[in-house]
Amino acid sequence: MEVNISTAEQILTTDGIPLKVSLRKTERKNKIKAFLLVFPLLIFIIVTFVVPIGDMLLRSTDDSQINSVYPNTFEEYIKWDKNESELPPEAVFKALYLEFEQVVPNIRLDKDADATKLKRLRSQEVGKALTRMNYSKSGWKSLIKKTRKKILKNVKNGEKVEGSYKDALIEINKDWADPTFWYSMSQMLNERTSIYYWNAIDRTFDQDSNVVMQPENRRLYIATWIKTFKVSVYVTFFCLILGFPVAHLLANLPLRYSNILMIFVLLPFWTSLLVRTTAWIVMLQQNGVINGVLVWLGILSDEGRIQMVYNQTGTIIAMTQILLPFMVLPLYSVMKVIPKSHMRAAQNLGAKPANAFRRVYLPQTVPGMSAGGLLVFVLAIGYFITPELVGGKDGQLIGHWIAYHLKSSLNWGLCSALGGILLGIMLVLYWLYNKIVGIDNIKLG
Amino acid sequence: MSKCLKIFLFASFLVFPFAATAEVTVASWGGAYTESQIKAYVDTYDAATVKFENYNGGLGEVRAQVESGSVIWDVVDVLPDQAITGCDEGLFEDISAEYKNFTPAPDGTGMIEDMANSGVTNLSDCCAPQIFWTYVVFYDPDAFSGEKPSRIADFFDTAKFPGKRGIHTWANAIVEMALVADGVSPKGVYKVLKNQTGALDRAFAKLDTIKDDIVFWSAGSKPLELVKSGEVVMSIAYNGRVGAANLSEGENFEYIWEGQVIEQEYICLVSGSPNREEALAWMIHASSPESQALQAKYITYGPMRASGIDLIKAGEPWFHTGIEVMSHMPNTPELLKISVMGDPVWWSDNGAEIHERYGAWMGN
Repeated sequence: MEVNISTAEQILTTDGIPLKVSLRKTERKNKIKAFLLVFPLLIFIIVTFVVPIGDMLLRSTDDSQINSVYPNTFEEYIKWDKNESELPPEAVFKALYLEFEQVVPNIRLDKDADATKLKRLRSQEVGKALTRMNYSKSGWKSLIKKTRKKILKNVKNGEKVEGSYKDALIEINKDWADPTFWYSMSQMLNERTSIYYWNAIDRTFDQDSNVVMQPENRRLYIATWIKTFKVSVYVTFFCLILGFPVAHLLANLPLRYSNILMIFVLLPFWTSLLVRTTAWIVMLQQNGVINGVLVWLGILSDEGRIQMVYNQTGTIIAMTQILLPFMVLPLYSVMKVIPKSHMRAAQNLGAKPANAFRRVYLPQTVPGMSAGGLLVFVLAIGYFITPELVGGKDGQLIGHWIAYHLKSSLNWGLCSALGGILLGIMLVLYWLYNKIVGIDNIKLG
Repeated sequence: MSKCLKIFLFASFLVFPFAATAEVTVASWGGAYTESQIKAYVDTYDAATVKFENYNGGLGEVRAQVESGSVIWDVVDVLPDQAITGCDEGLFEDISAEYKNFTPAPDGTGMIEDMANSGVTNLSDCCAPQIFWTYVVFYDPDAFSGEKPSRIADFFDTAKFPGKRGIHTWANAIVEMALVADGVSPKGVYKVLKNQTGALDRAFAKLDTIKDDIVFWSAGSKPLELVKSGEVVMSIAYNGRVGAANLSEGENFEYIWEGQVIEQEYICLVSGSPNREEALAWMIHASSPESQALQAKYITYGPMRASGIDLIKAGEPWFHTGIEVMSHMPNTPELLKISVMGDPVWWSDNGAEIHERYGAWMGN
């Protein structure tokens, strides 16, 4: 805030410095001190949170790899009118052939590298591009590797292409006459791409860069998204149903009982995730404890044992139990501070218990339910290890595919896009929640 | 005297930091497999300290280390398609120039040729051979009162052998097994997959016939639990896990060797490895026929070098408990005739697409 004080009215401190300046100085000092205190935290958040997420979002649209490896080919490629000819014109084949011959990398990483090293760098450039190209169409990898090997051998033997480069390439490998390979290149034209986001919802680009559905037997992600959502909603719902009475009991019992009961909530919470997951398998499997008891009691026949694990039922049961404390604890801390007199007052004023509960108690627990619900839902939607172990074929939620693309297929673009969508879903939920309930209504304790 | 001591102390200070850095870090799969590696390749090695770290496969971590320039692992134990991709992308260092320094077979055959004698083309110039392991079907003979299953077709025949089947949650080897069960010869599987349109549809159609009876697993220890607890009557598993249960834990599981899919395992040198020389020297040690044969004392994975198998045969009973091990080895000449030799090149071309298709199939 600026206050205009004319120079004549300036108040001076004892050492002759205007009071305003002196005050500002101390204030700035305090501000710097405060900032220095939070500075490590700020750095920590930037390094561990902002940068990785930013990097992930950048990666999900990055497609610069191939363009830098075969720049001339792509330059010629965009001139190709796909209505005119089934295969691209000779110029494309020629550019590609010459870029296969090339043994110097397009990005010079090392100024004084010798020939062998440059050759190896170029091979690595090509190698990285191949991994990417193979996502658009299976088979690119060995097609280019074999062709390049043959061409480099020809160069070594001093053989030159006479006549058409197109015929030369097709002679080396007949797949070069397969238009689908050429069509798939239209997915790789730009340095920034949305293809991974489309892939993440079972769509792809056709040869004219129109968005089309993936072939039927590759449609996977929409179903997985729905499945993940469904499981998360179920788990959140069951956590709420089961957690509410428990929290209520904990909050209203005398301290010495509630403390003991609290241990029962916290003990599983502190137990290793894997132990709890494995315990559920032991309980639920066909020759497991529950089926065994039911058969022993004669409720089930030996052949009629129920399949309770390695399917969605098992996933929901195990995840609900594992995530339950995340619902109970915020609910408990909110219920703890609701004065008991409120319910009594409502009943004194003539409300039936059910009515008093619904109109007086329940609204006051909304902050706890919201906090617990959001917490459980957010954790459930990205859950990985429990569904993986107890879910069988239904256990492959979106986390499974993120891990698969991160580790095995190395398709980090698609991996980031899946992560980006997950992040987007969370933000939308947060926004919706804020609109409907209001975010300042959330309470963890 | 004290001068001598001073010089000695000074010298030891000079030497000490260098001696301390020579620690080779190897990333491998953990469990009984890594234990056998440590017994065979580390306990027998004095030239450097070798430390094993566990990882869950895949090139994700290696790529992250190499791209960020902070390489921690010197050597990684990988599947063959990852050996190929990692080498192509420059995540692993080309060591083909060093192959001449690797230990030859006792009769003087070079390492690459020694591998070729077991039917393997070296597909990656960045790696050294380790073992053969297989996806194999096994069962508990007590689960069947009458006739026991003996062929891969029995695995897909729930009318003849009722009960659930254990299958892993990714597509490798299942495609091949389904085709063999459907009448394709083990040697012709990839020819069919490469040249016949609709070969994949055929494999998936075969899988459809048992779809309702499948329990899917994703961790290597799972199939043994599933079969032992009676949850399934037969399961696909890693052969070494079944071998360990039979040889070390007194189980009596039977294998269906027909249609088993043989996979390879390599150790590769990470680009920018902090202890390159020591790591390379250790790789030479770990891929020698003697070391490879020694590993089979502790786990029933087959040496990839043909001369390693010869050493085991000559030394029977080879297993450390004094049991004969060859009947549990997946790559004897007799078994090679009825096995599918996995084709990592085909998988690295088509894997991603097939895994997605398999995932979609599972979910429907």
